[in-house]
Amino acid sequence: MCFKNLPIAFDEQGNAYLKEDIANPYEYKVVDLGVEQDKLKSLMEKNGFIRSVDYDPVTRVAGALAFHSVVDLKEKKVLSTNSMATLFRGYEIILKGRDPRDAAYISSRACGVCGGVHATTSALAIEMALGIKPPPLGIVMRNILLAIEYLYDHPLHLFLLSGPDYSEELVAATNPELISKAGSKKAKNKAVHGYDTILDIMKDLNPLKGKLYLEALSMTRVAREAYVQIGGKYPHPQSVIPGGISVTVTPSTLNEVYTRLVKFFDYGQKTTGIWDDIFDFFLEEDPKYAQCGVRPATMADTGVWDRPDSYDGTFENCDKWGNDRWSTPGILVDGEVVTTNLTELNAGLEEFVEHSYYEKWDGQKYKTDANGMPLSPNHPWNKETIPKPGKQSWRDRYSWDTCPTWDRMPMEAGAYSRMYITAKAQRAPASQFLENTGHSMLINVPKYNLPEAQLEWKIPEHWNAFERNRARAYCIPYSAMVAMENWQLAMQLLRNGETAVSTPYEIPKTGTQIGFGAWGAGRGFLTHHLIVENGLIKNYQIITPSTLNAAPRAPWGAPGPYEEAVLNTPILEKYDNPEDYKGIDILRAIRSFDPCMPCTTHIMAKDTDHVVTREVTTCACGIE
Amino acid sequence: MLSQEKLQPVLVELSKKTLIGTVGYHVLGNHSMPPMLFPELQKMTLPDFVSVDELNWGPVAVIQMLEAEKPPFDRVIILCAIERPERQIGDLTVYKWEGGLPDEEQIQACVGDAATGVISVENLLVIGEYFKVWRDDVYLVDVEPGPEIAGEQLTPDMEDKIPEIISVIRSLAVGNLANLASITPLHSDHLFQENKIA
Repeated sequence: MCFKNLPIAFDEQGNAYLKEDIANPYEYKVVDLGVEQDKLKSLMEKNGFIRSVDYDPVTRVAGALAFHSVVDLKEKKVLSTNSMATLFRGYEIILKGRDPRDAAYISSRACGVCGGVHATTSALAIEMALGIKPPPLGIVMRNILLAIEYLYDHPLHLFLLSGPDYSEELVAATNPELISKAGSKKAKNKAVHGYDTILDIMKDLNPLKGKLYLEALSMTRVAREAYVQIGGKYPHPQSVIPGGISVTVTPSTLNEVYTRLVKFFDYGQKTTGIWDDIFDFFLEEDPKYAQCGVRPATMADTGVWDRPDSYDGTFENCDKWGNDRWSTPGILVDGEVVTTNLTELNAGLEEFVEHSYYEKWDGQKYKTDANGMPLSPNHPWNKETIPKPGKQSWRDRYSWDTCPTWDRMPMEAGAYSRMYITAKAQRAPASQFLENTGHSMLINVPKYNLPEAQLEWKIPEHWNAFERNRARAYCIPYSAMVAMENWQLAMQLLRNGETAVSTPYEIPKTGTQIGFGAWGAGRGFLTHHLIVENGLIKNYQIITPSTLNAAPRAPWGAPGPYEEAVLNTPILEKYDNPEDYKGIDILRAIRSFDPCMPCTTHIMAKDTDHVVTREVTTCACGIE
Repeated sequence: MLSQEKLQPVLVELSKKTLIGTVGYHVLGNHSMPPMLFPELQKMTLPDFVSVDELNWGPVAVIQMLEAEKPPFDRVIILCAIERPERQIGDLTVYKWEGGLPDEEQIQACVGDAATGVISVENLLVIGEYFKVWRDDVYLVDVEPGPEIAGEQLTPDMEDKIPEIISVIRSLAVGNLANLASITPLHSDHLFQENKIA
């Protein structure tokens, strides 16, 4: 029984049904956000004054997210938060009426980093809709391609985008008291990364000049070089298609991949050692850092990396092939796994637009899925994208992002969710390199230049900004080992003469076919919901990780994950005057999610007219 | 007849290893002129020391490619279409990059944008400068696109300019600067101002 809030129950045979005797089973309460705003206004008036603030994004090129906070700098706490997507992207509308085969190429453009995962998710949606099963080598090569995409993405996040928040330059400016402590604090993992003290690491995290920063830049190239062997080009691969891939795979192809992949064995060890040292230092020096960006471990993940002997693309078997993935799909509520079944993950999804610039749609074409599992009128298969630009108001609508929920709960997404659910659920089949203990994931990294090692990522007590980033670091060896295991499978398939990489198919000219693709982006959960009618796309709905994370308030008032995490963040930065306040704690909280767009935060200090503006740029992937 | 002593620098100038690159998003009307013109540029009859490539795959990746190029390109010509005030569609300006760097916060912003897939000539110039990949000459052939519109077509006034654009690029590629009306110096100070490099 995974649903607590949706009116879905299960009979003794495990068949889902809609609870009876409920007049409007999918009804929900809509709260007036104006009440909260009035309280805030009143509070601020008592203490001083309110200043008008320009909340337009200030990112120079492609600003797409703004974040507004009201901060009490005397009490050192955050009073109010609003996450705003400021750009309408509209891939759902672009795709409507097109040939489904266009979807992989067009939807791939939703992101400047993770094009491959959009293309793959799109291919999976078509495979489900049309019943296409790729050949084993096609599945395995897709796994390798997407594991490599993560190997580009994770170093980028850790060292180029989020890493500078923990650099000597930034820490000296915001918490100088930590610098002298870092100088005398010995690094525990020196044997792996070579740094004697925490300050030595911090110095090499400095943007543009630090060795770790520059090394990460060069590692992104190594990953791209491996990627293009399969994808043809990066970031928008040309070879990901429904039914597999469209590139000839030879031992030479795999050798070219291997020579790059092995470099991530050592890099994975080094990166986890670096971030373990840095985060342990912060948390030991001031335990209040454990509250930075803290929220319950309530997350969704689609799982990734299909087993070639299990994946058949069908909805009918998706619980089986989903649970057989190297990373387990599922829903985590406050640290507990409530389901690992893709059918339940799918059925619990809803999208709300009460605080977004969209019109509510009518109708509920799909009342159940193919198994009879009830679907909400707000489910992506029933949703329509109807843009409704309007005035921004904290009381009403303030974002182009929708509010996706699972079982009426805002869900967090991240690469770390992939690791957390997999480790906790212990459903993934046995692996040569990975072991899930229920409280940790053991990663056996083979020898390269460094000796072989067993790394252990442990499920943390508090789910906060530091633990998000720590888990992201462990996702490097995790992804590398999945790639390695699939590389071995690919070699075996070639030896067996199983060289087919794709399955031919035709788009039916008549009838309706539906499917959904579920695959993770570098920063987690990604679904594409597809309806094909008479050979053309009738409806296409994309939920990206940032759609989940950057969500505005739910209709019933629940904050989105960014909003909640920032609301819980204590202000630990040191400053003499409000004008000196830089907002580093809030920035760390937001950046730990790896917000999937050039994002700008605006923090308004209560009782002042001081607005802190900082870019939180990560990948250019957007919200619809 | 030039002496060998005088001829040598001229020959060097005329045979510099050169890259012609196009930068710009697709499907944005005139703003997409550079990638749309890329096939035409590839068809040009050019000396062996001149290469043509699309440089739309992210400034960091482009810089890493340039760093790995042995021997490096002596001359880089970038075709771009940036909307600027007080120009008519098709107005062509040739800039010569004079170098310089903005502050580090701006450079980090450029790297952040670049590493995450944003296509931008300014980012390319700054990141290239920071990582010291620009050698002797970097030129921008910048054509006014007018307002941004969706689509894969050029307006007639932009179409009319294509022969001139190709001619200018050819002149720059072979070091024949005498044919060019003017070349405007471009410094990093001008990149991030309100009206950019108008």
